[in-house]
Amino acid sequence: MTRWSVERLTSRLERFELGPVDLALGPGEVVAVLGASGAGKTTLLRTLGGFVPATSGRIAREGVDLTRSPPERRGLGYVPQGLGLFRHRTVERNVSYPLEVRGRTDALRESRALLERFGLSSLARRYPASLSGGELERVALARALAAEPELVLWDEPWQALDVEARHELSVVFEELRAAARMPVVVVTHDPGLAFSVADRFLVLRAGKVTFQGAPGTLLERPTDPFTARFVGYENLFDRAELGEGVPGSLGAWLLARSGPAGIAFPRPLVRTDREPQGAWEGVVRSARPTPEGGAVAATVGSLSVALRLGPPSEAPLPALGDRVRFEVDERTLRPLGAHDSGDRSGPA
Amino acid sequence: MTARGGPAPARPLAARGAPWVVLQLVLAGSLLVLFVLPLYALFTYAPPAAIGAAARDPAVRAAIWLTLFASGIAVLAAVVFAIPLGYLLARRRFPGRTVVEAVVALPVAVPHLLVGLGLFFLLIPGSPLYRFTTAVGIPVYDTIWGVVLVMVFVSAPYTVLASDLSFRAVDPRVLEAARSLGAGPASAFLTVSFPLALRGIVAGLLLTWARAVSEIGGILILAYTVYPGGPYNGPVTSTISVLVYDLFQNGNLKEAAAVSSLFLLIAFALFVTVRLGERLGWLPWGRGELVP
Repeated sequence: MTRWSVERLTSRLERFELGPVDLALGPGEVVAVLGASGAGKTTLLRTLGGFVPATSGRIAREGVDLTRSPPERRGLGYVPQGLGLFRHRTVERNVSYPLEVRGRTDALRESRALLERFGLSSLARRYPASLSGGELERVALARALAAEPELVLWDEPWQALDVEARHELSVVFEELRAAARMPVVVVTHDPGLAFSVADRFLVLRAGKVTFQGAPGTLLERPTDPFTARFVGYENLFDRAELGEGVPGSLGAWLLARSGPAGIAFPRPLVRTDREPQGAWEGVVRSARPTPEGGAVAATVGSLSVALRLGPPSEAPLPALGDRVRFEVDERTLRPLGAHDSGDRSGPA
Repeated sequence: MTARGGPAPARPLAARGAPWVVLQLVLAGSLLVLFVLPLYALFTYAPPAAIGAAARDPAVRAAIWLTLFASGIAVLAAVVFAIPLGYLLARRRFPGRTVVEAVVALPVAVPHLLVGLGLFFLLIPGSPLYRFTTAVGIPVYDTIWGVVLVMVFVSAPYTVLASDLSFRAVDPRVLEAARSLGAGPASAFLTVSFPLALRGIVAGLLLTWARAVSEIGGILILAYTVYPGGPYNGPVTSTISVLVYDLFQNGNLKEAAAVSSLFLLIAFALFVTVRLGERLGWLPWGRGELVP
């Protein structure tokens, strides 16, 4: 199946500059593009799609240069933000569209199989305005696949979906990957989706690629506060916040270990055995139960630290104002913005 | 329930605060009264029998036919020329676009007699354009072409403006989706942009038609009396507006009222048909939109 290579690709949209981006995609590979708002995620998809002209670099499919090809000749299934469904066409005529514009006279008949596969047969004659979020997503995906694309570009799926629909769609997504072996570039804000479907992450910041690699690597070595938050670190401190700590405080301890952009670490476990050694003490500001036990926010000096509780059987949920003790495992500390030093950011 | 992409259904008036309802009713109602009263006066002045007589009068029929025919050509011209201009304004950036936008709005603002005078001087016998139009067989003075020319001038801007707004309202991401699915630029226009903008464009075409049939100022100067020629081969006549003006000038008040009423009925029937067609889904635009 298809291999794509993107080399030193740059583009410009008004004053925003994207790239250079390098990206290689093999059959069935899924790359999640991450980044804060305005980082250039959509611009990257639109450049790949041919809607924003590349200013330099190369996009190739099986070695064939497509950098200057118009969108309709790139063999892409592009699902834009908001899905881009045709509201003046019924579900079946949305799905048959790629076949119709190719002049296929059997367009409607051919699209039936896709409708069936995505569980849309009963909605064939309905217009998009009367469908639910999950149904609309399925229509958009079925339509993109009807074009028999060599690469799917998907901007913010899951965006307006409830929990049930999300689950339903992730099943469809896995099916798509397993059966069609189609590479996918997906832009998302959703860590759950990114971790569940992506083989690789590509992180953009202000148009530049700051990370590209396996999700696990980003989890172990978040590059900056954004990625740290994205992959699930709930304790994030910049150096200015830590600088206020007095010697011997948690702040000072963290400052000594933080990178240029600060430090991140996962929720430490609240100690119920009251071991005094090496433990910090905080005052509970909020506590809520979770399936794992509980999530606690506590103030330690000038810092607010997110903590977790063990299984509910071990300890009751603390009350506001209670004192709790915890320990920060040095192996879980992630200095941010540091050029890879390697010694402190080994696997936890 | 509100579905994605559609407007929220209108709430019944009673669900809102009473003073607010009263204010809306008074303001909106005043305007409706202003619209309806003069028309009501026309109908009271012309009893049904007089309207019937007018409908049977060959001179009136000829004038109605000429007016509908000429305005039909004006609408066709708007389809051919005004929609592309609207599309250009909506989708392309080019130097001087602001000036073009102002020029498009100008015919709406210019007094109608000025339009006639302008065209008169442009096509004055002996002028290059006069020689050209006569040479190619489309003389404008006192022909249907003169009527059409004035009508297009004063009415096409409505279609340009409506097309501009309607094309602008089409989400560019929907177009990009169409392109990536295999549609070339022309195909994406025909299958996506145009159908999505059609409802607004049709509203513009209706305004264009309405403005065309109501035109009198320019026609008085360019084609007061219309002789057969070109696509029109009926009897010597004039447009409805000129006919009514003539009748009024000559003191035939009752007949003027009857002819006016007759034409109003025709125009009203047309508007109601289009609106009803939209609502019942007979017409190919507005499909897939949420109906409250």
